[in-house]
Amino acid sequence: MSAPIYDVIVIGTGAGGGMAIKTLCEAGLKVCALNSGRRLDPAKDFRNHKQAYDMKYRGFGDPRKRDKYYHIENEYTAGLWEHGIAYTTAPGTEWEWPRCHAVGGKTNFWGRSAARMGDIDFKAASRDGFDVDWPVSYEEIAPYYTRVERMIGVASTVQHRPSNPDGDYLPPMKLRCLDYILQKGCEKVGVPYLPDRLAQLTVPHAGHPACHYCGNCTEGCDVGAFFSTPWFFLPLAEKTGNLELRTNCVVRSVLADPSGRAQGVAYVERGTKREVEVYGKAVVVAASCIESARILLNSKSRHFPNGLANSSGQVGRNLCDHLYGTTAYGYLPQLLGQPSFPDNVSDSQVVWMPRWQNLENPHAEKFIRGYSIYPTGGCGEFPWYQGRIEGFGSQLKRDIKRYYPTPASFYCQIPSLPSPTNYVDIDPDVKDIYGIPAVRVHFQWGPNELLMWEHAKAVCGQVLAASGGEFWGAAPNPNTPGYSLHETGTCRMGNDPKRFVTNRFGQTHDVPNLYVCDASVLLSCSDKTTTLSLLAFALRACDHLVENMRHRAA
Amino acid sequence: MAGQGIERREILRVMALAAAASQFPGFHRWAFACGHVGAPPGAPRPAVYTPQFFTPDEYSTVERLSEMIIPSDGSPGAREAGVSEFIDFMVAGDPGIQYGFRYGLTWLNIHAEEQYAKPFRSLSAEDQTAILKRLAYKEQFRTGEEEGRRFFSLIREYTIMGFYTSRIGLEEIDFPGLKLYSESPGCPHGDDPEHLHLPPAKY
Repeated sequence: MSAPIYDVIVIGTGAGGGMAIKTLCEAGLKVCALNSGRRLDPAKDFRNHKQAYDMKYRGFGDPRKRDKYYHIENEYTAGLWEHGIAYTTAPGTEWEWPRCHAVGGKTNFWGRSAARMGDIDFKAASRDGFDVDWPVSYEEIAPYYTRVERMIGVASTVQHRPSNPDGDYLPPMKLRCLDYILQKGCEKVGVPYLPDRLAQLTVPHAGHPACHYCGNCTEGCDVGAFFSTPWFFLPLAEKTGNLELRTNCVVRSVLADPSGRAQGVAYVERGTKREVEVYGKAVVVAASCIESARILLNSKSRHFPNGLANSSGQVGRNLCDHLYGTTAYGYLPQLLGQPSFPDNVSDSQVVWMPRWQNLENPHAEKFIRGYSIYPTGGCGEFPWYQGRIEGFGSQLKRDIKRYYPTPASFYCQIPSLPSPTNYVDIDPDVKDIYGIPAVRVHFQWGPNELLMWEHAKAVCGQVLAASGGEFWGAAPNPNTPGYSLHETGTCRMGNDPKRFVTNRFGQTHDVPNLYVCDASVLLSCSDKTTTLSLLAFALRACDHLVENMRHRAA
Repeated sequence: MAGQGIERREILRVMALAAAASQFPGFHRWAFACGHVGAPPGAPRPAVYTPQFFTPDEYSTVERLSEMIIPSDGSPGAREAGVSEFIDFMVAGDPGIQYGFRYGLTWLNIHAEEQYAKPFRSLSAEDQTAILKRLAYKEQFRTGEEEGRRFFSLIREYTIMGFYTSRIGLEEIDFPGLKLYSESPGCPHGDDPEHLHLPPAKY
């Protein structure tokens, strides 16, 4: 008896993989989805309702292990993020690569900022002469953004800013005391301060409950009040009866047949280390930006000596990341001694200062393109500001309480420009424990993003002062590259097969039955987060795949 | 877990607490500080804790220091929150900080003997406070006491860590995460966005 041939093999169950799984199953296709880790059980694995005193080390983490935590990991999520991943960095490159291999990947813990990109991003090259325009206009992708917002639920307001297009929104989260104070400061400086586009349910939506504002979203949501693949997409896919989800399968390569078409996937079972091949009429790669490039580069064959679908040589190239860092922090004396307020809701992700630079004139600033800022602060999980208060005794206790509502800080989201210095390739020497060659990262912040970093620090200092706040400091350096978890670019989409990996539908130029459905197809990060965009492009790619399959079958 | 309501989550949480506390024998006050269901607030518990790292003398000094740093002064302090147990637990599990604590306690006693002819724990409250003030307030720093200041910073940091992650401490600052909300909470000062005319400071 021969092995079954699925319609589509989907690699990955993150945002892109989840969208592919749902869309393809609902279109009646038989899907075999491969995930490198296990399924999580929210009742057991998510500790978002645990308080510090419930934790063995009060949330500070086991001192023997806490040095190894990723920045986004902590005692509450210990065991849910993947460690011991074999990847290397080129000399001079620092790269943090937090990975969640469990089903749903980073969607289990994401920051939920979900803004649309606009033509200011898609046609940036026409405006400022750098790089190439996207092969898609806002008008073409807008209906997909709308469909995605209706699936996942995004809370915001209509803001009438073409650089930050409005979508189909749930009622917004309400602004907090510190928001109104900082908003006034922003008004005086002449920069925007607005509700973020938050993928958080302020009202019940599509069968999912509204948020109860426990404030611990990035520790996993036990009720599914924000989008994740396991809560939102897998149940819909499973309902169709068309999904087979295989967990703990580490993909080695995509298999190509003698004519160069994709015919399946080779993977290793984690526990047994058994090598398995699964066959399909089409393959969707959605293993997340860097991993997808790794898989394609490791999928060498006679037709593709440089990796599958890599005749352009661009697989792995054009790696972009968001530069993150604390651009200012201090406190707001107006709130000294006031009662505490639920500032921690939504993990303190409520507002943003969306890109205001180079909107009219693309060369108004010393840098091109632009960045956004996320303000945060107020009553939090722990009085980190205690280091600013002298003394002990009743005075200390009183001062800690007095300052509790007052902290304010800002962090930036600055896109790096595509650069020949920033890419991933396969390490010639290092393999992981399954014998799969490791990926090697090459990355440096370029001049444009460093100019934005200095600019952002100046502006945030001004905003804090204009808000009547007291300045305590700013980070001397940005966070390590890779911190943002918003990589893009390693399988960029474009019309020219000599310069781009996929066409504007995410279909690889070289292999018509091979699609890419994660952030690797996006040309650059822009000032916005990548998740909503990758979901919209993945949806469009899957519509195209379904159409393609029907056309071939007919 | 959808639709289970707040009561079920609360019960699950407390059950998990009891399980967690029971793993660590001797944490009487800590378990109490977690608001264990059934214990009437304020009920004293026999407080015989055997330190895992500190000697009995060191431990009684740690206890005294934590109470001086976060006192019981109208609202519960480090004593009620079992902070000294927390500090002993954390230091026992973290070899990297053990020297700093042991050396700092040694320094404190030598300093107390030099100034007042008694170990720190045997001094009057006034004398203990006088020593600590010189380690805590920039204006009172004296040369030659860098080690003491370093130790004071260390034990203050751990006292604050232990207090403000206990139920008592989180209630002291009224941490909003102790509650859940049925709708998005918004600023109540609609007519005063710059917050310049707030009611007088409560604290």
